[in-house]
Amino acid sequence: MAAATEEQPASTGSVPRVEEVEKVHETTEGERLERDDDDDEILRFMDSVDGYLLLMDSLSSALRQGWLDLASARHSMGTSRVSSTLFDHKEQSAATKLQVIDSADMQSSEPNPHFVLSKWHLEEKPSSNDSVSAQDTKPTLRFRGSATTPEDGSHQSDAALAESLAGVDTSSHVQRARSKALSVYGALVSPKLRTAQISFETALEVIVELANSRSNMLASFSQIKDE
Amino acid sequence: MAGRPSIPTISSALIAIIADEDTVTGFLLAGVGNVDLRKKTNYLIVDNKTTVKQIEDAFKEFTTREDIAIVLISQYVANMIRFLVDSYNRPVPAILEIPSKDHPYDPAHDSVLSRVKYLFSAESVASDRR
Repeated sequence: MAAATEEQPASTGSVPRVEEVEKVHETTEGERLERDDDDDEILRFMDSVDGYLLLMDSLSSALRQGWLDLASARHSMGTSRVSSTLFDHKEQSAATKLQVIDSADMQSSEPNPHFVLSKWHLEEKPSSNDSVSAQDTKPTLRFRGSATTPEDGSHQSDAALAESLAGVDTSSHVQRARSKALSVYGALVSPKLRTAQISFETALEVIVELANSRSNMLASFSQIKDE
Repeated sequence: MAGRPSIPTISSALIAIIADEDTVTGFLLAGVGNVDLRKKTNYLIVDNKTTVKQIEDAFKEFTTREDIAIVLISQYVANMIRFLVDSYNRPVPAILEIPSKDHPYDPAHDSVLSRVKYLFSAESVASDRR
């Protein structure tokens, strides 16, 4: 009798035990997934720190080249011709600007801005031709379908021509903008001053990448800290 | 996530510079210079006559202007106002410490890396476990 009574609790206890085992499995599975997410976040953070340091090296190289070219230009043109006293203090708008977009990473509690560089008024440039301006603003999908009719073929060649015209137009605009920035130092400037300008433009591109890398690093860091 | 502060989208923001003459000259060649109606510029040239107060005032002005998205500051200048730079924690404008001709970049003094370095420090992990 006692044995029978003892057996009953064992038989009724086996079902809860199975449920308990299942719950333990689910919990360990959930913990494993959480650990994987943590590991992913930590790897992302380490990558962003590494990227930040590499970009800083790249910036140092670009700046060193720029300073060297500037020193060469000052040597050939004279110290008084390449000096901060020549800076134009009249009202003027910067030709190179930034766009700031919220990357909307909802997993992170830290805001994550994304910076986009816009050099030499390129996106603000007014365009007289509508088709050229349509090509200028954002890259659009080009139709590469089975356009066998001659009419479609001529449209494609018109689009390609418009694109090449837009490219030429853009590069001439950039050259004019660069010349305007150099005109502060006179009509005839040393070629070294032009190469210094290019070096500092490169440095600006690296700086924008650095700013984005910084945002990603801080966002990953805040997520790791929260966990 | 609820409560996460959002960043307003800015379509044309400026880059401010607090650095030596050559660095400012170079970036102005790249088209970054801006002068507004009140003759306020988005750069400050730091030389041996520039006072710490002037640098602090420029830093505070650039970090509170809404039309500035990035502030570039030479690391040796940032070291002069280190307390102010390290206590700055807003996402925009982003503060980037850059090297200068006579002072190469030192990651140990970078304010951004200082904020995250405790993840790399074994000492801090050991102190948490005690």
